[in-house]
Amino acid sequence: MKVYDGTTTESPETTAPERVKVGIAEYEVSSDDAVLTTSGLGSCLGVAIHDPAASVAGLVHVMLPSRDEMEGSNDAKFADSGIRELVAAMERAGADRDAMTAKIAGGSDMLDFSQNGSGIGVRNVEVGRRVLSEHDIPVVGEDVGGEHGRSLRLETTTGDLVVKSANRDPITL
Amino acid sequence: MKVDIQSLGTFNELAHEGAEQATRSMCQMTGLDAVVDVTKITLVGREDVGEQLASGEYVGVQFDFEGELAGETVLVLDRAGSETIAESLVPGGDVDETMARSSVEEIGNIMMSGFIDGWADYLETTIEHSPPTYVEAMGEEILPRSDGDDERDQVFVFKSEIEWVGESVEFYIYMLPEYDSLTSLMASHTDAERDAIPVDKLEVFNEMTRDGTKQAAQNVEMMTGIRTEAEVTRLSFAPIEDVPKQVGTDTYVGTVVEFTGVPSGFLLVLFDEASAVHIAEAMMPVEMDADELTEQHENAIEELGNIMTSGFVDGWANVLQTSVEHTPPRLVHDMGQAIVDPLAAQVGQHQEHAFIVDSEMRTDDIAFGAEIHALPNETELRQALDELLVDRADQTEADVEQIF
Repeated sequence: MKVYDGTTTESPETTAPERVKVGIAEYEVSSDDAVLTTSGLGSCLGVAIHDPAASVAGLVHVMLPSRDEMEGSNDAKFADSGIRELVAAMERAGADRDAMTAKIAGGSDMLDFSQNGSGIGVRNVEVGRRVLSEHDIPVVGEDVGGEHGRSLRLETTTGDLVVKSANRDPITL
Repeated sequence: MKVDIQSLGTFNELAHEGAEQATRSMCQMTGLDAVVDVTKITLVGREDVGEQLASGEYVGVQFDFEGELAGETVLVLDRAGSETIAESLVPGGDVDETMARSSVEEIGNIMMSGFIDGWADYLETTIEHSPPTYVEAMGEEILPRSDGDDERDQVFVFKSEIEWVGESVEFYIYMLPEYDSLTSLMASHTDAERDAIPVDKLEVFNEMTRDGTKQAAQNVEMMTGIRTEAEVTRLSFAPIEDVPKQVGTDTYVGTVVEFTGVPSGFLLVLFDEASAVHIAEAMMPVEMDADELTEQHENAIEELGNIMTSGFVDGWANVLQTSVEHTPPRLVHDMGQAIVDPLAAQVGQHQEHAFIVDSEMRTDDIAFGAEIHALPNETELRQALDELLVDRADQTEADVEQIF
């Protein structure tokens, strides 16, 4: 819960870039200088795609690996359909697929109770990598797996992806 | 009266879309940017409806509505939020109290009519609503008191949280339908009889959770000497992707287990970091006086999580007269939302919506709060409720005492 300090309206931060929050099973595309953020990735995967030439960036927060595994109406919930959606939305915003690069973060193994096979976090990362490679989008940075949660901040202007964790210093991909 | 998962999902979606419609109206008028964060249906004790509101000053606009669906709905803003709205309508102007009040009334009127019209459209019926009433009060007093026209202890509440982008203000839309009017409407939108859950059993489920929480609180007292009170118990229903949002982004310490049997699912016992340090030190033989969580603290929390889990699960098993087994607890120390996310994903492999059981305990002695969250698998929850005899619920307490 944020605290209202009463000063926000008196000091309009005209210079600060707009901050756009991306929720679970949502994606956002920015073609200005906005900062896209998403928080609380456990086994969820954050996929950040950037076209520096067109200055278009997009971020999707997916929950499960594949749409085929179950019925669902929301594409952004799954790694495969979510990435496809994001790439298409970025192209509509003027990005060129050949110029896109991707960074991925999340897909932790924490609290994976599955008895057999790999956990959801691992599969989210696998499917994410596969779908990006099908689109010929290179993964130029990643911080995946492990046993901790992450929050992300993607800067449209630079394509920098800042990864924060509860018990670790932030890293920039 | 039975309702199915589908109709619960539909009604939740309806409340969400209504809130979005209302929020769009507000954004158009003020130029402020806001998004609806979460919408969920909750079944909660009548006296606990507003407990998530802080103790500050709130203002709002309230309507009564009647027709096929009857009840009350209220838009709730904190005082600072109402001033922000007023300033956006009168840019640069000095905002006095009268102006703030009329702005809230104006916005509230537009938002809430949109909200109610959305429901009426979907239900293809007419819902009449009263003129808006401006309300102001401290904390949960802002919510309408029911005039006691029905005897029920538990009520359904639809609650949407709306967040302003770039402004640190949140506001809420509460809809409090009359129980009978809502349940008969939901029942009439229920078509698959075999998947339906009898509504009264959801109440029993809440009661058994309350008993489970009491048992967990007693276990805490036994181990730490700290007397805690089981405070709130509620059963919510939300799309699976909204489940992690039930817990904030703050850092929590606690334990997670998977339980198997009927029902199966996950159970979390979470403490905020400060509570974790306090409660862990209460369990230690020597003074630690640490500000941070050490390994010893974590060990104590693990032990505490374990006995709280057992207490809670035993409470359930007694009512259900089944055995509910659970894995050894896994210690977690991370962002709240990131802790819940893998569990929601695991449940979400098989279902689109989830029931979430929440309960809280507090104590006045030290700054201490603990939350218990359970995330049952839907199919087995339905089976458990199916097999549950309503009159068995009052047996929990007796059984619990026989065991401990």
